[in-house]
Amino acid sequence: MTLTSTGESRVHGYLFVLERSLNTFLPRDTVHDAVREIASHLRERIAATAPAPDERTALERILNELGPPLRVAQAYSAERTIDEAVATGRFVAIVRAVWHAAATTVTGFFIGLVIFVGYVAALGFIIVAILKPIFPANVGFVFVHGMPVGLGAHFPMSPDVDLRGGYWIIPVALAFGMGIFIGTHRGARRYLAWWRSRLKPAL
Amino acid sequence: MPLDIWQEQLRRGGLDLAILLTVSAGPRYGLAIIQHLEAFTDLVVTEGTIYPILGRLTREGLLDAKWVDDEAPHPRKYYSLTRLGQKRLADMKAEWRAFVEKIGRLMSAAEGVTP
Repeated sequence: MTLTSTGESRVHGYLFVLERSLNTFLPRDTVHDAVREIASHLRERIAATAPAPDERTALERILNELGPPLRVAQAYSAERTIDEAVATGRFVAIVRAVWHAAATTVTGFFIGLVIFVGYVAALGFIIVAILKPIFPANVGFVFVHGMPVGLGAHFPMSPDVDLRGGYWIIPVALAFGMGIFIGTHRGARRYLAWWRSRLKPAL
Repeated sequence: MPLDIWQEQLRRGGLDLAILLTVSAGPRYGLAIIQHLEAFTDLVVTEGTIYPILGRLTREGLLDAKWVDDEAPHPRKYYSLTRLGQKRLADMKAEWRAFVEKIGRLMSAAEGVTP
């Protein structure tokens, strides 16, 4: 069938939403290629379809068979972002996939928050280990009015703050930092593998 | 694990093999691959989700993709098996046959049938 201007608008609208959805997590050239391929699929289907019982019904059937643009975009996400993260375990890929999961689902948001806190805590411990030999008097276990409040660095030192702990803090902070980092990273990878298996509607 | 999740994992596992088999006879474009899969299987639930899989198989070097602009009123993206894809397909077919045979033997044993 040959589309009327209304039908063309519907097709352009579908492709527009698809492109916007893909743009959030795919490189621009990949998005262009993906949209071109889906457009080719639509044109092929439309050309081979009779406008029965009317153009709108026929077109909606074609679009339904193709799937909602968000679902198609989610499938690209699963294949590219999440697969890459689960398969390679690379830090950047994991962070990108967790970010995408956090932006997509409520559960993903809260789990992403926990993962973010894990990475930040690991980074904090590692920074403490790095700073201790450079600023030995400013880094250590922090006591305020004699009460322990944590491990960290103070610049400048306040009279209320008492820093305790020698250089042994370095290996301890490094061990904690690396331990939390590895634990968080493995947890994130497992979560993404689980999330990928739950993406049933996408595939 | 619920049955539908298990079925989904089976389907996902088989889909890569099904796509490689589909293009093993010669280059096909996306819709032709989908139509071939629909003719022989019920693996395609949502047509649009086949394209990301084709993209991944291309990135993995198993498929080669080429746009052909002058064959139809609109451009078509043709997929063909690479040499690596041919080797992977041969390995996957052997694995699949061995897997089916093993599970078949187990099922026969469980049902008390001598193979």
